[in-house]
Amino acid sequence: MKKSIGERIKRTEDPRLLTGQALFVDDVNIPNMLHAAFLRSDYAHAYLRSVDVSEARARPGVVAVFTAEDMGDDWQPGPPLVSPPPTVEDITFYSRRQVPLAKDKVRHVGEPIAVVIAESRYIAEDAVEDILVDLDPLEVVSDIETALDPNAPLVHDDLDSNLAAHMIQSKGDYQAAKATAEVVISRKIEIDRGAAAAMENRGIVADWDSKSQHLTVWDTTQAPIPIRNGLAARLGLSESQVRVIAPFIGGAFGPKMMMFYPEEMRIPWISIQLGRAIKWIEDRRENFYATTQERRQVHEAEMLLTREGKILGVSHTFLHDSGAYDPYGLTIPLNTESHAMGAYAVPNYFSDLTVVFTNKILTTPIRGAGRPQGIFVVERLLDLAAKELEMDPVEIRKLNFIPPDAFPYEQQIIDQAFSPLIFDSGDYQPVMEKAAGMIGYDQFVKEEQPRLRAEDKHVGIGIVPFVETTGVGPYEGARITIEASGKINVATGVGTQGQGHFTAFAQVVAEQLGVDVKDVNLVTGDTAQFHWGTGTFASRGAVVAANAIHASALIVREKVLKLASKLLEAPEEELELEDGYVRVADIPHLSISLGDLAAEANPLRGAVEPGTEPGLEATAYFGPKYGAIAFGVHAMIIEVDPETMMVEIKRYVVVEDCGTVINPLILEGQIHGGVAMGIGNAYYEQLIYDENAQLLNASLADYLIPTANEVPRIEIGHFETRSPLNPLGTKGVGEAGTIPVPALFAQAIENAFPDHDLEILEMPLSPNRLFELLQEKESEK
Amino acid sequence: MKIEGEYMFDGTREQVWDVVRDPEVLATALPGTQSLEQVSENEYQGEMHVRIGPVAGLFSGLLVISDEVPPESLTMTVEGKGKPGFVKGTGSVQLISQEANKTLMQYQGDMQIGGRLASVGQRMMESVSKSLLKQGLDSLNQALLARQASQTTGEQVEYKPPSESEFAASVAKDMAGEVFSSRRVIWIAGAIVIIIIIILAAILTR
Repeated sequence: MKKSIGERIKRTEDPRLLTGQALFVDDVNIPNMLHAAFLRSDYAHAYLRSVDVSEARARPGVVAVFTAEDMGDDWQPGPPLVSPPPTVEDITFYSRRQVPLAKDKVRHVGEPIAVVIAESRYIAEDAVEDILVDLDPLEVVSDIETALDPNAPLVHDDLDSNLAAHMIQSKGDYQAAKATAEVVISRKIEIDRGAAAAMENRGIVADWDSKSQHLTVWDTTQAPIPIRNGLAARLGLSESQVRVIAPFIGGAFGPKMMMFYPEEMRIPWISIQLGRAIKWIEDRRENFYATTQERRQVHEAEMLLTREGKILGVSHTFLHDSGAYDPYGLTIPLNTESHAMGAYAVPNYFSDLTVVFTNKILTTPIRGAGRPQGIFVVERLLDLAAKELEMDPVEIRKLNFIPPDAFPYEQQIIDQAFSPLIFDSGDYQPVMEKAAGMIGYDQFVKEEQPRLRAEDKHVGIGIVPFVETTGVGPYEGARITIEASGKINVATGVGTQGQGHFTAFAQVVAEQLGVDVKDVNLVTGDTAQFHWGTGTFASRGAVVAANAIHASALIVREKVLKLASKLLEAPEEELELEDGYVRVADIPHLSISLGDLAAEANPLRGAVEPGTEPGLEATAYFGPKYGAIAFGVHAMIIEVDPETMMVEIKRYVVVEDCGTVINPLILEGQIHGGVAMGIGNAYYEQLIYDENAQLLNASLADYLIPTANEVPRIEIGHFETRSPLNPLGTKGVGEAGTIPVPALFAQAIENAFPDHDLEILEMPLSPNRLFELLQEKESEK
Repeated sequence: MKIEGEYMFDGTREQVWDVVRDPEVLATALPGTQSLEQVSENEYQGEMHVRIGPVAGLFSGLLVISDEVPPESLTMTVEGKGKPGFVKGTGSVQLISQEANKTLMQYQGDMQIGGRLASVGQRMMESVSKSLLKQGLDSLNQALLARQASQTTGEQVEYKPPSESEFAASVAKDMAGEVFSSRRVIWIAGAIVIIIIIILAAILTR
């Protein structure tokens, strides 16, 4: 059988994407379509006294204006995206969900207050300026560290405080371990907010056809099926009356998994009200304060070790910023908890999590989703311990890795899905050694670095391992059909946002059916084609969706073999599938094409045998027992310019173990993108809020995204430990590139300034901030 | 945003006080002011056109003067709202007599901004506000000098406040000064500004 999985195949979707032949939401234009623009709050926290839309309604070209009042009983807070945590002991959780249009009160800058529907977007935007809003400003909850002060203003008036959630998790006996620990490292560690900043902003086109009583919605969502189900429920329609299409999407990175955005529920509702198609495309400024953000957390963290450098325990008491509402539950901070032990055997663990409401834009997962924070905490503490113990950073890590014979390794805490956290498989030491070897760690530290330092160059090296929980359930599914033309049609529920699904999933099918990947047509993200599934998130496409596709490909293969065996009068064991034909192995001319076989399976006359199904088609599902744990090591060599504090990355190495690799080329692309995002998280991208929770850099002129100049050439090595949790043996990799980069920057920058005793305990950094930190150290000298 | 500074006026404390408390003069000194009406003894309502970098628009607002100790000190509270966002600020002003009939004004204030003004205009906010303040105080001083001249000659000396475009040109010049430190660049920027003013003047007088 010809191998397809593991082949370095160029992405088959790229010619369409690169030549402008791919459909994006904004490409959808329907005759008589109207356009929407939203009026958003300028205040982070204010009572909404009145909204006067009379002038806006009178503007020529305006068809309708809606406020919360105009929605009547249809005004309801959005459904929770993730079911609220189960009421188990020691968990406090207050669910407060985003509202469709603000009523009574606005709780963050950018919260929508009214929506104008007009003949064109120009008219709609002008009419937004006609609206008179009376907002009565309130004191603002601008940061998590003061949110729980007794006299802090309340984001939600019906709650006693701004506490959104509290939860404690522990393993072993941390306090007892502390009594015996020889080394205790305690630090306050802070991480701030950033944006996902996808190339394509959000957008929705909704088209209600009153004659067919059918709603079609094109949406830049990562989760078309749940969106369809939620829309049907909220709009009082049958699920069969709603079709949601997530066409090509220009990047998502998590925030497009948020359900439902106020606009996402509003636009279809208005389409039904008016019986017209409505388009809303988010502009870049809206994207900064209407699309979710992430990462603000403050940790009081501690690590216990022996003199030999063996970790005895990790603890952290931390605050997580949920923004004004918490529809996404505890996913992000629970991910942080799952990663704060890193790839290490940590016998005692204690984590005390407090989630608070603030008057800021809501937070939901962004590529990494709480994992970079956890890895930053554990890797920083370990670096500081290594310094104190005068140990080599590589050695102290090797000493503490979970050993390969300890898998499956039970962490004795629960993960983001409230299931026990279990590390399924891995072999960490060889990956670390491979990365150290590729970057030439020893040689650099012993020879090159001293030589360059003698030339007054601020060169540093960093090497940081990380784990990634990937491929969580509940399930995905796929339907595979062999058509009479010989082409294979595959439909799956996950949406696609640039991951290369069309190629990678086709390879999984080609592997079983012996066809060229070009003959596999994939349909993703269209509920009319496949309507069971959850979405594209948590690095699970290549794990959950690919295994569902694999499962249905196996069934179709069985059907092919059975029918071919009958027609070719040869036993199934002697048949092989290759180049679109089923052949008898030893007699190549005795063969039938898959297309002919499909036609035979769907006869126009005669009778299909009882108990069989027509056609060569199968639908199958896959749901893993629990998530697969990927592992990797990033290493880099940098040079810092002491005048400008710009960091130049001289070399960047990634060694990744994500189990079976379906397509190395696509895998490498994922890593490249992830690293670029991580570099932004570490040194360029920070959302700056003032003390009134006003976002001060809501434009790409002020919010810096790394460009080709800041992203180095990345050298990638592979290592493979198959996941035992799924037939393909895959582990996810979508977020991997981003996770360790902040910790890596911190280590490498400290290493570049050996005389300053620098301690980097915050992210993101920036050239300015590094300058300040160095100045502080200078003045201490 | 904190604002702090001082300015030397060419007049006595009483004269400066009178100018500051005269809404008509004050209106001319606040660049872009379209109207400023006294609504009660210490309250003024007005409209002002503001441009901060790419953000521009009309603000309507309320100016309240409190804690008055004539002719020594007062507190000003400004609350403005407009399409590009909102401004809310409080400032205290002290007048201190100096030699040779001069008066030193010291001011400290705190300003909150929101909306597009904050999210997009922030980068230019500080330098633009400083510059606007300096231009405004210069105009007040010009008004003060004009009054003194009228008093000595007994004739009405016309004080012509700078137009909005002149303000804009001055702000641009001030900002150029901040951005480019080299003298030559300032000279070039200055020349460009002068050329722009000439062109504007030509258009306006046509």
